[in-house]
Amino acid sequence: MRGGMERRVVITACSAITPIGRSKAEILHRLVHGISGVKALREDDLLSPYIHSKVFGTVDYPVVYDFQRQHRKTMGPVAYYACQVAKEALESAGLDQEFVTSGRLGVAFGSTHGSPTVQRNIYKTFFGGSRTEFSSIGAVDYLKSMVHTTAVNITKMFGITGRVISSSTACTTSSQSIGYGYEAIKYGMQDAMICGGADEYDTTTVAVFDNLLACSTAFNDTPHLTPRPFDAKRDGLVVGEGAGAVLLEEYEFARKRGTPILAEVIGFACNNNGGDLILPNLGGITETIRIGLREAKINAEEVDFISAHATGTKMGDVIESQAIYDVYGSLPGVVGLKSYMGHSMGSCGVIETIIAVYLMEEGFIAPTLNLDEIDERCAMLNHVVSLRESPIRIAAIQNFAFGGVNTNLIIKKMP
Amino acid sequence: MTREEIVTQVLCFFREEFEIENPGLDDNLREKHGFDSIDAIEMLLKIEKMLASELSHEEKKRAMDIRTINHICDYIESLAVARAASSE
Repeated sequence: MRGGMERRVVITACSAITPIGRSKAEILHRLVHGISGVKALREDDLLSPYIHSKVFGTVDYPVVYDFQRQHRKTMGPVAYYACQVAKEALESAGLDQEFVTSGRLGVAFGSTHGSPTVQRNIYKTFFGGSRTEFSSIGAVDYLKSMVHTTAVNITKMFGITGRVISSSTACTTSSQSIGYGYEAIKYGMQDAMICGGADEYDTTTVAVFDNLLACSTAFNDTPHLTPRPFDAKRDGLVVGEGAGAVLLEEYEFARKRGTPILAEVIGFACNNNGGDLILPNLGGITETIRIGLREAKINAEEVDFISAHATGTKMGDVIESQAIYDVYGSLPGVVGLKSYMGHSMGSCGVIETIIAVYLMEEGFIAPTLNLDEIDERCAMLNHVVSLRESPIRIAAIQNFAFGGVNTNLIIKKMP
Repeated sequence: MTREEIVTQVLCFFREEFEIENPGLDDNLREKHGFDSIDAIEMLLKIEKMLASELSHEEKKRAMDIRTINHICDYIESLAVARAASSE
């Protein structure tokens, strides 16, 4: 039972590194013009030759970092991503340094499994056959590769002394980050939280899904045509990379600062299927959706837009469609944003949340890319198949992960 | 290795690896240049390479009292002398 103080929580800044661009303008341009960020899988001289899926949601533009060495020295690629988006969000919000280091700002940030690039170098030492150096493992390799490397590199860079939450639940990592950050503020433990997730280029993840026959392979020569959420010709997910950060603040704190408010977080749900760790579960997903609405204290009819998890797998999209229909019917517009950029794993929830905020601000809904022929088992929904001028008042962002973890975030446009 | 050669190598290492340009030989590295425990461990790895010899646990522990470039050079000199003596 919860009691006592429940405070309003708002999003006041955001930043993303995605396969479809960095800035709001770039990302919206790609959404409006239907331009995919899925490209050929980059070679890694390790696993890529053996992987059947040859497509990847790729960040193929340079990201400029100006981090000092004292910060760089504990960062692997995933922490570079995380610190850059956190830096941009914090700078955009204009929080003063006294508050940042006061203990009232916390961090909720994660990744799927830290930095596989750094881990790979450690494994070389273990399995290389001979020691070519006196100490092959660097003193900071653990700090660079550990599961909470994103969160603590952010605290170090900005001197943040509040609570640290570092979820690592694969595809629900960053939606959990936002959800747990939201709850930390809502219940008075923190006044602000920098929340998000990141995942770097990594073929290990692709190989895992490839072995499970979950990756797209039929469009290796035409990467932009996959993934195809809800489409009859979908053949699996496309792994990607990226990062995103949102700054959450307690509403009154943000209002008194006079900072622009992008949206309000009004609900969050997280549950588990309580059984199989891989297969999507209708009961579990449906319940997550219901809990989210209950937490947000709204009715299903009030939700205008659903950012579906929609990875483009054969069964996942069908089960999610059934769950959405069971709760919402055919009312809200449904979009699978992964159709543009693949599945950026630990960062997908925050990136999809940021895009939902952008669409909310601009008053239109981008269509699901590559949705040419809707699978009849998914057809009962209100799929957005072309650009739709439509105000979004309330949006739900759904994510589901290996391990049976489900999340549902609900955000509302500020008047 | 002469003292001058050691100083030159250490300063080069500080410039290239730690991005610390021309530190004073008696500067307190932690207070003046933000040289922390992580840097100290990294420095030990470089010293192992410089000496082409692995440092013992006890030798590494001794390095934790180092505060200045001159201390580092003293430390390297003492290690080199010990290795030269043991190889004779």
